[in-house]
Amino acid sequence: MVTDSGGTRPLRTAGRINAPRPALVEPGFDGTPREVNRQPVAVVREEWRVVDRWWTEEPVDRRYFDLVLETGRVAVVFHDGESGKWYAQNA
Amino acid sequence: MVACLVIPGFELRAALRARPGLALRPAALAPVPGSEPLVGPVTAAAEALGITPGMRLGEALATCPGLVLVEQDPAEAEREWEGVLRRLEDTGIAVQPEGLGCVYFETRGVERLYGGLEAALRRALAAVGSAWDPRAGAAERRFAALAAASVARPGQLLIVSDERTEEFLAPLPLGLVPLEPGRQRELKELGVRRLGELAGLPGGAVAERLGADGRRAWGLARGGSPARVRGRRPPAELVEALEFPEAVGNELTVRRAFTSLLERLLERPERAGRFARKIAVSARLVGGGSWRRTATLRDPTVEPSRLKAALGPKLAELPAPILELRLELVELTEDAGRQLQLVQPEGGELRGRLKDGLRQVRASTGSGSVCTVVEVAPWSRIPEARALFVPRDE
Repeated sequence: MVTDSGGTRPLRTAGRINAPRPALVEPGFDGTPREVNRQPVAVVREEWRVVDRWWTEEPVDRRYFDLVLETGRVAVVFHDGESGKWYAQNA
Repeated sequence: MVACLVIPGFELRAALRARPGLALRPAALAPVPGSEPLVGPVTAAAEALGITPGMRLGEALATCPGLVLVEQDPAEAEREWEGVLRRLEDTGIAVQPEGLGCVYFETRGVERLYGGLEAALRRALAAVGSAWDPRAGAAERRFAALAAASVARPGQLLIVSDERTEEFLAPLPLGLVPLEPGRQRELKELGVRRLGELAGLPGGAVAERLGADGRRAWGLARGGSPARVRGRRPPAELVEALEFPEAVGNELTVRRAFTSLLERLLERPERAGRFARKIAVSARLVGGGSWRRTATLRDPTVEPSRLKAALGPKLAELPAPILELRLELVELTEDAGRQLQLVQPEGGELRGRLKDGLRQVRASTGSGSVCTVVEVAPWSRIPEARALFVPRDE
């Protein structure tokens, strides 16, 4: 006979990893970041676009920049075309 | 005596619990996608407008253009039915469910507990709850009890004594016996419309014309044989569920979530070393409704690969993107016949130490502090969609 284990457990929710964090970015005339969180940008190493889920109610339109700041730190930021805001994220 | 409790249109009633306003409107249970387009159980308002269960969908919509089609919610129906069975078991009744909305039980044990047959049946009806409109029937034979419950009004109980069984069954419609619609039609064309008319035919002639099924139906129309009722084993009720931040339609993502749930489920201490005999996977679908599949294993096991092989292929049958995935160990077997290991597998000790360490972290920081990273879409161009944190509490 299998005994009752005492009921089900509450539902647990899976969390996101690497969610975008709002960033303070000062862009140049061509939209390339000049400052990130008040730190001047030394080099733009790479730039790419992600356009996805355009068929859903939450489309993704991002312009990513892989940057080296003058402090030597590496940062990845993106400009969200939907909201017009800047975010930092580990890409 | 054998008692039978019937809740007509149980699936529809369960699906309507989330939308009680529809119960008073013409509504019917929608057919399963991909199956024959026939409507399921219908509400009283729909019945009053001429809609009957089993009617072709097109015909039903032509008869009643305002008919609301309620999407099937098998997981919810299963949960509600399990709740009904558990309430009956809580009153001391050993139940034998016969599909959703029909359950048999032996009254002998509970008659003395509640002071007679009628009191025991009233108690059973009360345990089910008046919201479900249950009907009860009792007789010496199962089929007579089912027939009595089927013709009773909501909340009513009908008791049929053995000597009056044939007399009671005679005027009842032929639809009560389990016969294919084609056979039912054939009998009606021959002028046999009532159980009494079928029972009055020679058994040999019925068997010759309708085969084994017909012979069985003939036997039932005469009252049926007194079969025993076997109380079920209560299910184990070990469940793990995972809610997604957004609807997931990708099969690989669902498979990874399934693997994670399986690992968590097998690590549950309540399993107490027992083996899985029956396992179920269910999902809440994005447009409402749910989906559920079960697998019963010939040899009980807790080997993840075998359990995955049993249920994994069924995930391909998911009809829509899902918001939640649930995995249940429905039936567990006793801890017997377990093969001990002569040589500990490689890495076993290390895994044991890691588990101890995690247990210690959890004890000091609280539930939900230890998570597993589950890769759900590593190829995704959107970084936050590649992996999820899944809490581990074992």
